[in-house]
Amino acid sequence: MSQTSDLSWHQSTEENGSQPPLSLQNVHVSYRTRAGSVQAVRGVTLDLLAGESLALIGESGSGKTTLGLGIVRLLVDTAEVSPGQIIYRRDGRELDVLSLAEGPLREFRWRDCAMVFQSALNAFNPVLKVWDQVWDTAKAHNWNNRSEVRERFLDLLRFVQLDPDRVIDAYAHELSGGMRQRTLLAISLLLDPQILILDEPTTALDILTQRTIIDLLRRLKEDLHFTMLFISHDLAIAAELADRVATMYAGQVVELGPVSEIFYRPRHPYSLGLIRAVPTVTGGFEELSSIPGSPPDLINLPSGCKFHPRCPFASERCSREEPGLERVGDNHFAACWHTDAVQEDIERNGLRGRRAA
Amino acid sequence: MAPIIELRNVTKYFGSGRDQVTAVDAISLDIEAGEIVCLVGESGCGKSTTGRMVVGLLPPSEGQILYQGQDISAMERADYQDYRRAVQIIHQDPYASLNPTQTVRQMITAPLLRHQTQRGGPTANGSGRRGKRRDAERRAAELLEIVDLTPVADFLDKYPHQLSGGQRQRVSVARALTVEPKFIVADEAVSMVDVSIRVSLLNMLYRLKDEFDVTFLFITHDLALAKYFAWEGRITVMYLGRIVEEGPTPRLITDSRHPYTQALLGAVPEADPELARKKVHVELRSAEIPSLLNLPAGCTFHPRCPYFVPGQCDARVPALESIADGGTVACPVRKAESIQLV
Ligand SMILES: Nc1ncnc2c1ncn2[C@@H]1O[C@H](COP(=O)(O)OP(=O)(O)OP(=O)(O)O)[C@@H](O)[C@H]1O
Ligand SMILES: Nc1ncnc2c1ncn2[C@@H]1O[C@H](COP(=O)(O)OP(=O)(O)O)[C@@H](O)[C@H]1O
Ligand code: SF4
Ligand code: SF4
Ligand SMILES: [Mg+2]
Ligand SMILES: [Mg+2]
Repeated sequence: MSQTSDLSWHQSTEENGSQPPLSLQNVHVSYRTRAGSVQAVRGVTLDLLAGESLALIGESGSGKTTLGLGIVRLLVDTAEVSPGQIIYRRDGRELDVLSLAEGPLREFRWRDCAMVFQSALNAFNPVLKVWDQVWDTAKAHNWNNRSEVRERFLDLLRFVQLDPDRVIDAYAHELSGGMRQRTLLAISLLLDPQILILDEPTTALDILTQRTIIDLLRRLKEDLHFTMLFISHDLAIAAELADRVATMYAGQVVELGPVSEIFYRPRHPYSLGLIRAVPTVTGGFEELSSIPGSPPDLINLPSGCKFHPRCPFASERCSREEPGLERVGDNHFAACWHTDAVQEDIERNGLRGRRAA
Repeated sequence: MAPIIELRNVTKYFGSGRDQVTAVDAISLDIEAGEIVCLVGESGCGKSTTGRMVVGLLPPSEGQILYQGQDISAMERADYQDYRRAVQIIHQDPYASLNPTQTVRQMITAPLLRHQTQRGGPTANGSGRRGKRRDAERRAAELLEIVDLTPVADFLDKYPHQLSGGQRQRVSVARALTVEPKFIVADEAVSMVDVSIRVSLLNMLYRLKDEFDVTFLFITHDLALAKYFAWEGRITVMYLGRIVEEGPTPRLITDSRHPYTQALLGAVPEADPELARKKVHVELRSAEIPSLLNLPAGCTFHPRCPYFVPGQCDARVPALESIADGGTVACPVRKAESIQLV
């Protein structure tokens, strides 16, 4: 396999004291449908810090992809982002993403904030070879030095551990799932964006392929200090790659904190429920339990805390009043009236079911 | 007593001439009544093909499949019908396997009515058509209760599109139960449902084993799920159509011997940050999975295996050999070598 190249041209953002490159303020997204308005994202306020990797976790339909697409303004026409604000910062500049015109928006998508999509195949133009697609992209951004673009892309292919000769003149459908995902990652890095959003980067890949992608993303994080937002329903991706984790439920961030806090000291019943539902492969047997009920109807949301119909800790108050994110520890926030009860439950019963010897 | 299901040197070819692939290559497997056996491996390794042969949806190209000691290809018609009824499959995608134009009630009662007719004889509610229908309705309600679709009245008149993925999968299970199966092949049965409800589906399936003596062949690419579901059973690992390792689940998970199994176990991302950081990953010599159209000679894992011994591994297909700690391993080089993953 080809040797790893160092991406010496990469400009990592300075981390200390700099302002967050991305700030979401009270972001709402709804989809117009015949059945009514689907409230997919409801008031998300979140900073993405320079050089950090933040994982957005939550079950299907919780609004993760919608939020990611909202940030790069790639939502379908039936979606509306309002109210809310998305602020992007680079080198002292500040952009209001939601009011960007077409031209600046295209620049923003590639040079500032690139997104790698949930389904890697759809992101490719099926009738273009990989190189042609890369060259088109470069030209669209007024980068017309063919040999320079090619050099850069070859660097990137080697970085993602692909054999450039096998990939550069291939069509997307000729590549395996893992190769496609890596190629897509290489393309997304072409213009050296400051932020990378990855939607389900390993879902649907085989285990050994997943591992190569995770290791690759870890190098982006540890060696190049990319600022990354991971979107996944798979807790393992968060455990493997995240510095901070945000748990989403029914369109809201219900818990936010450092990865070790969320995994070992969760304070929201939903985060705890997810952790207790997922087995690990290493070690002895562990009891698991699932979260009762099913995800809420986003057209007719429950009253009060949206999790209350499924929550083992729910009290009468929960069905009336909706909790907001409150501080529960160092950089750790949870939106729940009964975070103390969650803590007591973990102290009494352990975090996960007992492991057999 | 004979195993409930027995595979003897079962091979399946697809295609012909230069395009012929061996999707399943001479595998043998005994499954005793009451056991849980998990089949794991990456996509395309032949798990579903094996499952489909076990339930009679696909004939083997070579070898035999025996149900309760009888070769299914040589059965009398009545025995064959018994076998087809006793051995059911639950698919990965409940959406594709349920008729979108039927309500849950119709989907469950139709096979019940057919089944009654086949068995003949009067029913508890008399032998008339009305009596039969009442019996079927009652049984349908019981079955929905068994699969935790309660209150039953909320679900009877729903169509598949009105149900969540997890609920649809419960309906598929209830439908499979209408014929009182003895053996269920669950092919990635929980892979498409959300993590938060996977466990309750698995627990529900597990209950069927205890309450109805159902034997399971549980097919999954997810080793952590296999470990959870089959902790008291066995795991069989397939690679490119062959079984490479097999054994009681605790041994296979904590002390695997085949380099491929070890690579898989090491590669699985862990939903635990410390474990994820500590775990050892087996470095492979190549990331590419060979094509079934062009399989490597000898041990098909050899182009990727870090323990490859030239002249040995690429010369002969290793046979599955028993090991003292339980199960079998198809690697003469490493079968006695444990590795520590954390
Ligand atoms: N184009 C659309 N029109 C209407 N509703 C939509 C549309 N796209 C998404 N939704 C709805 O918005 C909600 C959030 O969807 P989203 O895809 O963001 O979830 P997700 O968390 O990414 O889920 P998954 O884990 O399945 O990818 C869901 O209820 C979904 O059905
Ligand atoms: N009906 C079919 N026709 C041709 N090839 C098939 C057919 N079904 C499966 N295959 C091939 O057989 C191999 C094993 O497939 P499968 O049993 O579905 O694997 P798994 O379930 O382990 O992912 C794959 O290469 C697959 O493409
Ligand atoms: S506020 Fe109440 S219902 Fe909501 S998560 Fe907390 S305890 Fe559960
Ligand atoms: S037989 Fe050789 S190549 Fe195959 S797994 Fe064992 S050591 Fe590796
Ligand atoms: Mg999504
Ligand atoms: Mg399959």
